[in-house]
Amino acid sequence: MLLFREGSREAFEELFSRHHRAVVRFAWRMTGDPSAAEEAAQEIFLRIARAAPTYRPTAKFTTWMYTVARRATLNYLRDTKEGGEKVPILSEGEAEDGIYPVQLPGPDDRNPEQVVWEAQLTERFRTALGDLPEGHRAAFVLNRGDGLSYEEVAQVLGVTVQAVKTRIFRAREMLLSRLSKDVSA
Amino acid sequence: MGCRDIFETISAFVDGEASPEEAARVREHLASCERCRVLERQMRAVGAGVRQVRGSVPDGFREAVFARLDAEGALPKRKKVFPTAWRWAAAPLAAAAALGFFLLASREADRAPVPQSPVTSRVETSAPGAPVPGSPVPGPAVSPAFPPVYPQGNAVALSTEDREMLALLDILEDPAAFDANDDAEGMDLLAPGDSADSPNRPRGGRSGA
Repeated sequence: MLLFREGSREAFEELFSRHHRAVVRFAWRMTGDPSAAEEAAQEIFLRIARAAPTYRPTAKFTTWMYTVARRATLNYLRDTKEGGEKVPILSEGEAEDGIYPVQLPGPDDRNPEQVVWEAQLTERFRTALGDLPEGHRAAFVLNRGDGLSYEEVAQVLGVTVQAVKTRIFRAREMLLSRLSKDVSA
Repeated sequence: MGCRDIFETISAFVDGEASPEEAARVREHLASCERCRVLERQMRAVGAGVRQVRGSVPDGFREAVFARLDAEGALPKRKKVFPTAWRWAAAPLAAAAALGFFLLASREADRAPVPQSPVTSRVETSAPGAPVPGSPVPGPAVSPAFPPVYPQGNAVALSTEDREMLALLDILEDPAAFDANDDAEGMDLLAPGDSADSPNRPRGGRSGA
């Protein structure tokens, strides 16, 4: 990125080659739609290129890249699809009290572990992912999908590590609930 | 402590983000709670599931991104790298120089024939119009003193790098390169009327070139 900032086109081409798959994947998981993912991924690279003059290597490049990516997809979703939170959630304070809007499937429910690997469930999973609140989805996707640590996710989202921990747990909780309903339906 | 109080910590434990104390607490709880053991497996499964949602890079994605970037002027133009250009220019220039020298030497040879020396350069043996000894098809008319004899040491006047560069040119292909790869067998090396069984079958250059 520093080389690109100094005027090397080749540096940006190398950067693109290294990261475009991850960017497309992230955009796909966040938007859940192929054309939207492509549009958002293009926008991410445009933003990265535009931001080069002011780029400062204060964090890992990938952390910065995902920060740009998340903002781009968030704006894209706001502009095109998500007018607000699609899934009603309780406030962080309510979560601390242990009151959850959905019940975790009990041991008598069909075990998602057995079916989540099946190809036909991928589509349901994509839909369930899309129904998560954007902040929860981003935390979960960045951690489980892209391998960022809680601390890195916290940097990308601009929240505390504890908030990341809570968001990821609640994302899991909602996904399990949704997938269990899908399976039993 | 109830199960619900430890759910969030189990989630962090599954992600490898629990502190050592939290991890110990989770293990202790899981050892005695079947419901939470099931939950832990479900949490792992749902974490793995997100990786199944991956999409794929659309066709033409790279071209589309760079077209937009170029249209916006967000990327520096591709630089003209002069050293590279000169490197490519060097081959034809070297070939032209070698040919010029070759022709000059030929004219000198016409004026003062010199007995043919067995020492010839690789460029000489593959020179255009070189007669093939014993060939039924004569080459183009050349002077009796062809190929010319250069001063001693001319055969090594071209460096290895120069020779390799010249070998890239069709008119001055390096016969040694063909010999090494045995590529000559698969090429049309015979002059019209030549047979494949001809003992005079030329090697190391394209006949009539």
